[in-house]
Formats: sequence, structure tokens, C-alpha cells
Amino acid sequence: MSSSSLPAAPSHPSRRAATAADRAAVNPLDRGYALLGVLLIAPTVLIFCAVIIYPLVSALYLSLFSIFTPTLAGSFVGLRNYAELAGSPEFWRSLLNNLIWTVLTLTLQVVLGVLAALMLNQAILFRSLARSLILFPYFVSTVVAVLVWRWLFNDLYGILNHTMMWAGILDMPLDWLGAMPNAMVSVVLVGAWKYFPFVVIAVLARLQTIPEQLYEAATIDGAGAWGRFWDVTLPQLRDVLVVVILLRAIWDFKEFDLIYLLTGGGPIIGTQTLPLMVYKEAFGMNEMGRASAVAVAMMLVMLVFMLVYFRVLKARGEEPR
Amino acid sequence: MKRIAGRIAFNLFAWLVVFVTAFPLVWMVITSVKPQFELFRIPPTFWPEQITFEHYARLLWETPFLLYMRNSLILSTATTVVVVAVATLGAHSLVRFRYPGREKLAQLVLFTYLLPSVVLILPLYLMMVWLGVANSLLSLVIAYTTFALPYALWLLRSFMQGIPDDLENAALVDGATRMGAFFDVILPQALPGIISTSLFTFILSWNEYLYALVLVNTDAARPLTTGVMNMLISAFNIEWSLLMAASVMMSIPLIIIFAFLQKFLTRGFGAGGVKG
Repeated sequence: MSSSSLPAAPSHPSRRAATAADRAAVNPLDRGYALLGVLLIAPTVLIFCAVIIYPLVSALYLSLFSIFTPTLAGSFVGLRNYAELAGSPEFWRSLLNNLIWTVLTLTLQVVLGVLAALMLNQAILFRSLARSLILFPYFVSTVVAVLVWRWLFNDLYGILNHTMMWAGILDMPLDWLGAMPNAMVSVVLVGAWKYFPFVVIAVLARLQTIPEQLYEAATIDGAGAWGRFWDVTLPQLRDVLVVVILLRAIWDFKEFDLIYLLTGGGPIIGTQTLPLMVYKEAFGMNEMGRASAVAVAMMLVMLVFMLVYFRVLKARGEEPR
Repeated sequence: MKRIAGRIAFNLFAWLVVFVTAFPLVWMVITSVKPQFELFRIPPTFWPEQITFEHYARLLWETPFLLYMRNSLILSTATTVVVVAVATLGAHSLVRFRYPGREKLAQLVLFTYLLPSVVLILPLYLMMVWLGVANSLLSLVIAYTTFALPYALWLLRSFMQGIPDDLENAALVDGATRMGAFFDVILPQALPGIISTSLFTFILSWNEYLYALVLVNTDAARPLTTGVMNMLISAFNIEWSLLMAASVMMSIPLIIIFAFLQKFLTRGFGAGGVKG
């Protein structure tokens, strides 16, 4: 198992830990410790089984039933929920919305994140304050972020409409959240604002470990600023970017809070993604069985991302990055 | 000369970007101290013409905000204590012991950390109803372990891998038991890691919304996230300055923690970031 998540500290000591465990295995006296090791991990395993493994299996099971949420009375219907989903335009629309949201917001996050990291890696005045301010959107609760943005987006008194009208970009106040495609654009923008600091942190940490000699060599070879970025910085960032993109893809795909609180999936189902559809089926339509089927279908899509992520980690082995 | 001009221009540009990014949060603070009537000025004023704390006073004394705050504090603290205690033992086991299935277990931890809450939430909801703990802080603590435990375990594992084996080996040579060495050698070494893991876990729990939305529908057990959102939805006319004051208040603990965590940011985000 690769111990590396991102962005790893420059010196990664995982190899040493592995050798210690090896030594323990070689020494017969130490082998008795295996029992103690199992004992220490036991609470974790028990909790995992109770609150993660059991619900996961249970979700699969529930998706084969038709369950009325308020009474929880239900009957077995086999794969009918899935058949209904396959024939439901709403499901396909939600999946499409989910992909649109993920691709757009992820692209913005990565582009903005890399640019901001490059900028914050330069010598600027009060750099650590600037860094903290840039990172803060990632820290605040989604509820706070959404409240603030809904106030900024407010059609009558929102500062955004006023500023844009004052600057001559808009003639009329814009309905940011109540019309399409504005609602999708707004959700994507707020998502990019909230989550790009994650990319900044990962990339910034990597930038600080790129050896200065690489740049000196490139300068001697006559590379300009653009050339240095293209031939030195970007290849060095590749590994960390692959992991960042996969992680963010997984998290953006399953995002619920931000979209639900900004638009509730509206107008109509214009910004409804799969997680929102799960919630709506379960607690709006009171169809808990069908909601589980949507959740399982969503899991299947996410498994693709996850498998790629695990593949990437495995391919890198224990190599510290 | 040209060089200096370039530096100044770059600094101005950089700070403009920082300002634009931070603007929504600046606007939140400004709005929260403006009198209600000033919000509806057209064009809007940037600096408040008069600063008032009436919204904060109203928030504290006339709304259930303090009750939500208390719930959030209890909830996040309880989740953090339980999760970090269990995860510290678990991470120690994953790093320093060898038994069949250890590698698979570590992989499973990462997998569960990437699981979407919406998949787990329906069975968890049924489970809480069945256990008879629905609508309580306890049900939320149980639900929060689903994302907090994998996170804390993963983060602590990475911290503990950084502790040299020789320290523990030396203690064992001196005659300490494995558990003795754990308490006397490993734990003090891992303390910075444990503290920052606790703080990150606390933030995760503090900001959680979906489980609170589904599992709790009474003010007695409602945390800040769903509570404040309820103030928006149930309000007859939306009082934006009150909501902004609430937003500022619920961000204050995060600012304090953020200041402490500066040093560990990369590590904490490294284990999967702050958002579940």
C-alpha cells in the first residue's frame, strides 16, 4: 500500500516503518505482538463494520425494495428500481448535470489554484497573510459560504449586480440563481471559489521543493520565464496535479451541501446532481428504495474515479514525492 | 528602475487577486455591522456609515443561536475525542505491528474516506430509528464517525510514520513493554500530530451539514449549520445582517484554530483535506 497521499512531506519516512514491521516479523519473540496489534486496531474495525460496511451493504439491499419513507413499510421489488431509473429522463439529466458541474468546477479549481500558487510562491509583501486569506474559503463552513454568496447574488440589493451595472458589464440586474444557465454558472463559480485553495496548498507545497538548480540550468540554456514554467515547473508538478485532480474529481462529484443550499437543484432540475436526487427521492418523494438505487448507481460512477486513484497510488509504490 | 516598477506592479496585482478572493468574507463582516436600513441603500455603501452591533445582540438573545452553538460544541468535541482516541490506537497498530490483512485495512481506510455520505445516509437513518436514538446529538456523533474516523486514521498514520523506530526499539531494549513504550515514547512524540489531527477533525465536524439535515429535526439537537440555515428558510423576511452576524460568529472558532494550524496545513490537507 502506498503511504503517499498528497502533498507528501519532502522526506517521507514510510520506508523505515515498513522495515521495522519486517524486523518484528523476523524476530520470533516479536511475533507474539501481532495479537496486541490486532487488539489495538479492533475498536477501529468494529466501528468501521457498524457505521460504514454495514450501511454500504444495506444500501445495496434497500435498493431492491420499495419503501415509503414516513412509515418505512416496504416490499421487495427486485431490480425494478434500477429499471425505472434507466428509463427516467430525470436520472440521466442529473447524471449529466453532475458531470457538467464536476468538469467545469474542477477545471476552474485547477487553473485558478495553479496560478494562485505560482503567484504566492513569489516574493510579495505580507506573503503569509496573503496565503491565509486565499486559503480561508476552504476553511469556512459551506453554510457560511452559501449565505454570503446568496447575499452577494441578491437580485435587488446584492453588491455583485450593482458593481457589474456600475462597471457597464450588465444593463439589468441578473437573476444569478433562479434561471438557467445562470444557476449552473453560479454554482460552478462558487464551487471554484470554495475549493481552489485545496489546489493552492498542494501545489505550493510542491513548488517549494523544486530544486533551484533546475531553474538556473534552464536560464543558462536561454529559457525565458514562460519556457522555465513550461519545461521545469509543469513537469515537476505533474505528479501532484494528477493526485489533486483525482481527489477533487471524487469530492466534487459527490458534493451535496453547496449545490443543495445554493439552488436546491433548481430551477426545476437545472442544477440537480445525483446526490441531490438521492435526497429528493428519499425525503421529498418518500421513495427510500429508489433513492438507494440512485445512490448505488452514483457509487458505481465514483468507483471508476476511485479505481484510477488507487491505480495511480499503486503505480507510484512507496516512492516519496 | 524598471525592475522596481515591475515588482510594485506585481505586488499590486497579487494583492488585488487576494482581495477579490477574500472579498465575500470581508463583505460578510461589513454587512454584519451595518444597520438594517443601510443594506437597502442604492447604490450600496461600502464602509458602513454607522457601525452597530445590534445584530449580534439580537442573534445572541433573541434567537436559538446560543443553543445551536452549544450543540455544535458538544457534538464536535465528542466526535473529536472519540475518533482521535480510537484512531491513535489504530494508527499505532497499522504503523508498528505486523499481522495479516494490515495492508488491506490501510487501503480500506482510504477507500472509506472517499465514500459519499449520501450512500451511507439512508441506512444510517434507518439504523438510528431502529436504535431509538434518532433526533439526538448521539445519533450525529455516531454518523460523524463515518467520515471523521477514516480521516483521522489516515492523517495520524502519516504522522506516526514520521517517528523513528529506534526510539521505540531503545525503550524495548531497556525493558519496556510494547504498551509502556507506546505511552512513554510514541505518544509524546506523536503529540503535535494528535493535536493537529484533533483540530482538523473538529473543523470537519463543525462544518458538517448533510447528516445534521437528515438525522435531526428538533432545535434541542440542531447544530449551527442546519440551525443557521433554518433561520434563513423560516424567516418571514430575510434579515441579511443577522445572517451575516451568525456567519461571522460560527466562523470565529475556525479562525482561532486556523491560526494554530498554519504549520500543519500541508499535512492536514495532505491526508485528504478538510472537506469530507
